[in-house]
Amino acid sequence: MSVLDVKELICGYEPGKPVLKEISFEVDDGEFVGIVGPNGSGKTTLLRTLVGLLKVQHGEILISQHKLEHLSRREIARRIAFVPQLMEPVAGFTVEDLVLLGRTPYLERFSFESEDDYDAANWAIEELKIETLKDRPTTELSGGEFQRVAIARALAQEPQVLLLDEPTSHLDIRFQINICKLLRKLRSHRSIVATFHDLNLAARFCSRLILMKNGEMIADGKPDDVITPENIWKAYRIKVSVKKNLKTQKARYVLLP
Amino acid sequence: MKIKITKAEGKVTVGILLGVLLLAMFLSLFLGSVLMSPSALWHSDILWQIRLPRVILAAFVGLLLALSGVILQGVLRNPLSDPYIVGFSAGAGVGAAISLALGAQFIVFGMSSLPASAFIFSLLSVFVVYKLSQAAGKTSPETLILAGVALSAFCGAILSLIIIISGNLQSIYFWLLGSLSAATWSNVSTVIPYAIVGSVVAYYYSKELNALLLGEEMALTLGVDVEKVRLVLIVTASLLTAAAVSVSGLIGFVGLIIPHWIRLIVGPNHRLLIPISALSGMILMVVTDTIARTVLSPMEIPIGIIMALVGAPFFLYLLRRRRLEGQ
Repeated sequence: MSVLDVKELICGYEPGKPVLKEISFEVDDGEFVGIVGPNGSGKTTLLRTLVGLLKVQHGEILISQHKLEHLSRREIARRIAFVPQLMEPVAGFTVEDLVLLGRTPYLERFSFESEDDYDAANWAIEELKIETLKDRPTTELSGGEFQRVAIARALAQEPQVLLLDEPTSHLDIRFQINICKLLRKLRSHRSIVATFHDLNLAARFCSRLILMKNGEMIADGKPDDVITPENIWKAYRIKVSVKKNLKTQKARYVLLP
Repeated sequence: MKIKITKAEGKVTVGILLGVLLLAMFLSLFLGSVLMSPSALWHSDILWQIRLPRVILAAFVGLLLALSGVILQGVLRNPLSDPYIVGFSAGAGVGAAISLALGAQFIVFGMSSLPASAFIFSLLSVFVVYKLSQAAGKTSPETLILAGVALSAFCGAILSLIIIISGNLQSIYFWLLGSLSAATWSNVSTVIPYAIVGSVVAYYYSKELNALLLGEEMALTLGVDVEKVRLVLIVTASLLTAAAVSVSGLIGFVGLIIPHWIRLIVGPNHRLLIPISALSGMILMVVTDTIARTVLSPMEIPIGIIMALVGAPFFLYLLRRRRLEGQ
């Protein structure tokens, strides 16, 4: 069943200058969708629109059959969580404090976090394997550690859809793989939509890829079907050949000389 | 540095601070330019008409200023914000001085002319400063301070002009320096409603203030209606400042020092930061006012002078530390 349903979406920062031009796609429960494409193709704009940071100019977004525009901010926050490209640590907050902020859409007025909130935060901390960091100040973490904290915070929102904007772009290859493996595991509980720059990484871990260029989708499907020399030429104007990784059987591109 | 206290410890802290506050207020009643025995004091107007209203007023002004500081620092996402620094107080001062000079008596929305006029001008000044310092959805700390300084200078000039034209030099000037010497029961009853409303509103929005620690966009994705919350909180901080200014003149730095210092001790969680800062502000003002009226007795030092003597170096220290941390 589709969790996220995007219909003929048009949006942008100024009226009359659409960044996204009639985007339509559905995301089913348990999918891990990677959105790829060159700089300026509208990947980040798409994520920001899905989470309600940008106004929809035309078309509609449905989250489990509910129209986004009919939901309050609080109701949206209980269904969709967003991990931005760069989140800043909070001075004086430990990892646990920061993850608990993900419970904001569930908190009652004039009261502290409940047992349920602590349970949800602890569950998110365990899922991301950051138990040992729990009491560390967020200002003292490395980039890879902090990215996992940022994802745990979003997970504590218990969303149906988790959106991530380039979750791997500031990390070394060890943490890139580490984050992708965690995300692949997390999709059993919810749908994940993430943007990537690294096509090979996206092809290896995502269950489906959407290739964008100039605000339009030029390919959508299984990684093997999307990562083809023709598609990459269309999107990036780069000549590549595509091979299969012998062990994983996943498509990966190789630059032609 | 990175001490964090738990909920339970927070509740104990609130209890202890409440005790300290009551003790400070009680002791403060016995101190003053006239030393009297407890029994003579009990039967004297000095206690009932001078010291008691003054001590209570000091406590509530401390609460108003500290709360205003916590709210501003949270909503502007700027740890150097304070009603005095961002030009709130100066704006409120102009409003109050106009009302004093004109001798006008009118009622607006249930507020008497002095706080109403102070409120309108402080709101005006904060929107000017805020708009000036905003760029790409963020307020830059340095621009905020510069805009506040420029606006304060502008308001200072208008104030001087009002003083010269009205010829009521001594009373307005003394009031400008910040003092609780004019405390009366009617002043006390003026500020208490503001203190109650301000405390409730601040605490009501504590989870939104916490979410704002992650930035305005992240707060939005956490379900916070950022624009509405920001408007309500800025108006509230402005009201709190105006109420304080209308009874005690311009007292700076309480709203800066208290939240900053408390944040270092209890962490940035507003559910603890708000009540503990409010109580600490009350204690600080009661103690400082007692010093103000006893240390050079029978002469009295305006409390604003003492706060500036302590607060300005503290502010410079914070600026320096931010530079060293490379923020």
